[in-house]
Amino acid sequence: MKRKEFIKKTGLAAAGMLAFPYILPSGRAFFRTRAPLADHVVLVMFAGGVRHQESTLQGYLQLGQGIKIPSLNSPDNAGNIMPNIFNGPAPDPLKTPIVYGTGNTGANPIPPILSPANSIQSKGVTFKEVRCVTAGHYQGYTALLQGNFIGSQGLKQKPILPTIFEYVRKFRGEPASKVWLVGNTIGGSVPLLNYSEYFGYGAKYGANFFVPLVTFGQQGKTWFEDAKNYHPESELSPMYKLKYFLDNNFSNIGKSLPDLNNTEQEKYDIHNFMKLMFNKTNNNSVAKPPGADNSDARTIGYTAELLKYFKPTLTAVILSNVDQCHQSYTGYLRALHQADHSVGWLWNYIQTQIPEMAGKTVMLITPECGRDLYPNPIKDQNNYFAYDHSDANSLRTFASMIGVNVPQGIVKGNENQPVGLNINVVPTIAELLGIKDQVVNAGFLYNGPFGQAKSFFELLS
Amino acid sequence: MSMLNLDKLKVNRFLCVFFIGYLFLSCKKEKINYTYGVNHIHLLPSNVNKTRLKSSEQYISILYTNLFQKSLSSNQIATISQAFESVGDQILARQIFVANLLNKPGVIIPSVQEMNANLEKFIEDTYIRFYVRKPTQAEKEFMLQAIQADPNLTPELIYMAFALSNEYMYY
Repeated sequence: MKRKEFIKKTGLAAAGMLAFPYILPSGRAFFRTRAPLADHVVLVMFAGGVRHQESTLQGYLQLGQGIKIPSLNSPDNAGNIMPNIFNGPAPDPLKTPIVYGTGNTGANPIPPILSPANSIQSKGVTFKEVRCVTAGHYQGYTALLQGNFIGSQGLKQKPILPTIFEYVRKFRGEPASKVWLVGNTIGGSVPLLNYSEYFGYGAKYGANFFVPLVTFGQQGKTWFEDAKNYHPESELSPMYKLKYFLDNNFSNIGKSLPDLNNTEQEKYDIHNFMKLMFNKTNNNSVAKPPGADNSDARTIGYTAELLKYFKPTLTAVILSNVDQCHQSYTGYLRALHQADHSVGWLWNYIQTQIPEMAGKTVMLITPECGRDLYPNPIKDQNNYFAYDHSDANSLRTFASMIGVNVPQGIVKGNENQPVGLNINVVPTIAELLGIKDQVVNAGFLYNGPFGQAKSFFELLS
Repeated sequence: MSMLNLDKLKVNRFLCVFFIGYLFLSCKKEKINYTYGVNHIHLLPSNVNKTRLKSSEQYISILYTNLFQKSLSSNQIATISQAFESVGDQILARQIFVANLLNKPGVIIPSVQEMNANLEKFIEDTYIRFYVRKPTQAEKEFMLQAIQADPNLTPELIYMAFALSNEYMYY
């Protein structure tokens, strides 16, 4: 090629790149309008209905049982049982029964992973008095992921409106293996949460999803573990070629199953990750918070492994052991303490064990709903009363965030002045990943009696 | 009017009716049965009636019976369904499940030698086994060429492609 021709072609190519916007796999073309604040976001949908009195208010047995058991209704029975997320003194064992720890009686609190100087409250932002838009679990999850609440949302129905997973994949062009949802159960419609069925969004922009305790538990070990690892080029490639031919002959008659659009390479990678997890599970070497062993803690351990392997742009993880509060208040306290421990451990793991994510990640923690002010009549082994979730107190919750570009040591809101909605999570993640304008303009965010969904960053000033 | 004129009128009327009747009744077009020497064929594809998506349980049960010629217990079907539910990519879940089944002892699958001994029969048997229909001529031709061109395309991989194909998801 002659020099003059080369310069002409290069100039035309450069002009073309400037004149035409970035074309995404979604087929949409646009300029990103704001720079991302973080490369990775981890959302912890925290614990399964957390009562405000035992979390941010740090009331422990005083605010938990004092209303029914007068002997516990004194400040001596208060204290912070979530030392990784909140700052505050723990309950004093000399003044109050310690039942939230480990061991048969729960007398041994788990040592905090994060010191008070490095807690999520100290190193991040805490919205102490946030309003939920619903008091239910599944509707709470869908609200957190949609940034909106739809009254007609069915319990066995996929989210009605697009989820943050779909926004991230559609507007950032992220491949499927970079967006994950991790659940701790296949119950409660959790497997339905990884994408909506909204026209123009849906499975093709959905999140990959595992319930590690099932996928790598007995069910997965029996029916997935021995799957032969075919060679991607010499074996899987001709198999896929034949499958595409067969599908082509059926294309006018039936549709494919909902497809997350994992590429062949991504499917191969996910299968390899599964093989790795089966090996680690058999060797008992899956990463895990040291002080806890309930299903939330083990789910968090698998989540850490997943983060290390895929380095996803967006990961959401659901914890729900706290929901035993319907029948066991003591079990609830222990689960809450272990969930806090697990979250502190996960944050520390990201910062110390995943160099590609350290210093580039933001973690958000917020429950999907709160719990009632008054207990139900069910007593546990300590004669403590249990709590459901249906009254106005169930709409009280908190939201915490920590990580790159998040201000440190800020606490917003109090009992008399609530600040923020938990559905602000969607615009917050959108802002963190540089797609807030597109998400807002998509027009599905909440704007109703509780206010308007907006990024938590907008509420800091 | 004279008697002669009256008779003449009657004759004319008779002749008129006769000719009109003759015109309609006598000139029948000959019926011809054309025969073009072509066989009767169904124009619609033979898979057109498969419009209902199999549930996970149906898919699992039918596939296992196909590959092992024996059935699963309801407890096993429930366990496999749970494993499926725990994976977001349902296509990948099925792929890993099929790869797991094909790796288990007792799977009934032709050897490469058996396949190559009568390739056309293998193709037809595979279509009947998975799709409950015979392949079209075009399908048979493509399969023949694909298998002959690629020695890596073993019966195991061919079974996998059929088990994961969209047509196999429907009934």
